[in-house]
Amino acid sequence: MNSLYTYLFIAALLFSLGIFGVFQRRSLIGMLIAIELMLNAASINFMAFNRFLAPDPIVGQIYALFIMGIAAAEAAIALSIIVAVFRRLRSINIERAQELRG
Amino acid sequence: MTSSWFQDPTLLAAMLGALLPFVSFVLIMVFTRPYPKVSAAISVASISVSLVCAIFLLSSHWHLEHPIQYAGKWLISGEMYIPFGFLLDELSLLMLTIVAVISFLVQVYSLGYMAGDPGFARYYAFQSLFAWAMMTMSIAPTMLQFYIFWELVGLASYLLIGFYYEKFSASEAGKKAFVMTRAGDIAFFLGLLLVLLNFGNLNVLDMNSVDVTARMSPGLITLSALLVFGGVIGKSAQFPLITWLPDAMEGPTPVSALLHSATMVAAGVYMFARIFPFYSNSASAMAVFLAIGTITMLLASTMAMVTRDIKQVWAYSTVSQLGFMVMGLAAGSYFAGVFHLTTHAGFKALLFLCSGVFIHEYETNDMFEMGRQGGRGLKIPMVCMTIAAAALSGIPFLSGYFSKEAIMGALANMHNPIWLVAGLLGAFLTAYYSFRLIFIILFPSKIEKVHHAEHGGHASGHGHDAHHHAGLYWVMAWPLIILATVTVVLGFFQTPLENFLVGGHHGSGHGGGHHAWLPWVAVGLAVSGIGLAFLEFGRKGASQVGFVERVEPVRALFAERWYMDHFYRLFLDYVIYGIFSNLFTRNDRRVIDGGIDGICRATVGGGWLLSFLQSGMLQYNLMVMFAVLALVALYFFF
Repeated sequence: MNSLYTYLFIAALLFSLGIFGVFQRRSLIGMLIAIELMLNAASINFMAFNRFLAPDPIVGQIYALFIMGIAAAEAAIALSIIVAVFRRLRSINIERAQELRG
Repeated sequence: MTSSWFQDPTLLAAMLGALLPFVSFVLIMVFTRPYPKVSAAISVASISVSLVCAIFLLSSHWHLEHPIQYAGKWLISGEMYIPFGFLLDELSLLMLTIVAVISFLVQVYSLGYMAGDPGFARYYAFQSLFAWAMMTMSIAPTMLQFYIFWELVGLASYLLIGFYYEKFSASEAGKKAFVMTRAGDIAFFLGLLLVLLNFGNLNVLDMNSVDVTARMSPGLITLSALLVFGGVIGKSAQFPLITWLPDAMEGPTPVSALLHSATMVAAGVYMFARIFPFYSNSASAMAVFLAIGTITMLLASTMAMVTRDIKQVWAYSTVSQLGFMVMGLAAGSYFAGVFHLTTHAGFKALLFLCSGVFIHEYETNDMFEMGRQGGRGLKIPMVCMTIAAAALSGIPFLSGYFSKEAIMGALANMHNPIWLVAGLLGAFLTAYYSFRLIFIILFPSKIEKVHHAEHGGHASGHGHDAHHHAGLYWVMAWPLIILATVTVVLGFFQTPLENFLVGGHHGSGHGGGHHAWLPWVAVGLAVSGIGLAFLEFGRKGASQVGFVERVEPVRALFAERWYMDHFYRLFLDYVIYGIFSNLFTRNDRRVIDGGIDGICRATVGGGWLLSFLQSGMLQYNLMVMFAVLALVALYFFF
């Protein structure tokens, strides 16, 4: 039970949930949360490979830390975009942001 | 004669003679155009050197055994190469000399005729260009070089015919000459391509050798000979492209003299003679040429019988004499054609230069007007013109007599007597129309002559002060006297010329000897032509109305040049503009423009259709992106 595949399976599940969330949610906040899920799935993968396969145990953890940093930065940018969209459209529903439609 | 010691001066003379006029053309055009005197001096000096070179070449190669050829490779394409250089054989040496002599005399004469013209320097530049093109053409070793300079001759004559370009009719005439000769030149070029593709070589000597029959089928030879002859038709104003030559009279008279005797129109006949053995490979093509020459000669003679313009008469007579030359050549007598070309160059240049004096003096082209104003008072031109007209009519012991007899002899050797009859008829008409002109000027109707003294001409002439006038007159008179001498004596050189030209390697030169009655008939017809002209125009109290002019429809037919120009007009309007132009315009508008418009519309429409894919929904874009990435990943990993 406590094998590499367990973790990989969980990470894949989490990633799929993230994808599904990004596609399905119409709220920009919901999409942002789904993206965070995908990033976390990637972190889990790194940690799992690090634990079971890598000779040097430090590298994977550093990557996980990096991903957290990226996630934080991404959240900051995304939130500011969301605020800008809200100011312009008075809504954060993605269906309202269709000005480029042909 | 062709030892290595001699080769150098020959090459030097050929290069000098052929290139100097070009140098003078460039010098005048680039540097000395504002200075008419300097320009004329350069041009006359260069043509004098060319003349000396030409005479040197002719005299040093009088007993030429083999043609001398200098050629450098000019254009190489695969196995085929085209040389550029000089070919000196009997024919080209003779032609070179004719061109140099006539060009020289015409340029000297022009010093008087063109004096004070605003385009004096330009005139001399074009004259040099003309001389260069014609001389290099005469000594071309390949038909391609020949063709290039052939076109340059056409260009130079276009420039000179349209010399008074501010006059609408002159620029139109230049254009007509250029376009009509081009029509023949296209056929010429196609014929050359045909020879090049099938024979692989355009070298004049090779084309004249027997190899041609071995390498090309008879049908191909006939076809290419007919096509190449198209060039002769255009250049020498043969039927059906006659009418540009009379219109070319719009140029200055010395230009007409040059054009009609030694250069432009002679180029056509020269080309016929140049590759004469090639043409003679095809009997059927030669029959066609004979017919064309005969038709041309008779048509042009009839036209000359009714015109009142002195230059037009000589223009038609040139066309008709060119027809004669073509007949002579096509009848198989190489020598007769070339000899007539030579003698004709002399007396036709003389006729035009004499007419030029009259035109210069009386400021009119109408021969009745000249007679009325006392044309016979100009002694030298009048005498010279009478000599030349007599030579043209074939009066014995003038040069024209000998060459015409040679052609008649060749025609008499044909099986079908119709050609000889046509030739004799032509000789009769020639004598009639030339002496019609002479008598009109010499014996004008009494009534009108009284109140027009010779002074009238001087008064109406603009800008010629009297003391200047005499000098100019003599500048113009000397070339006339020289040419008249040539006209008188040239005929007696028939035998040496025949030996030189025909030598041992053409047996077809002889013809006249078998028909003892022929000269009598021909001379009799010529004399009766003159007699008829005298009856109608010369004797006292003559009506001065020719027998054809009494019948109005015939006169109209002749005066309108057998309605050939109308036919061209109709042909242009209906066939060229109506069918081809129309089709091409439609093709342009519909197919090409429409095609491009269609592509534009399709692009716009396609963009419009594709824009529906852009829904503006962020998530659909993401899904597509994900799908693509997934597929790429699948492709790479599995």
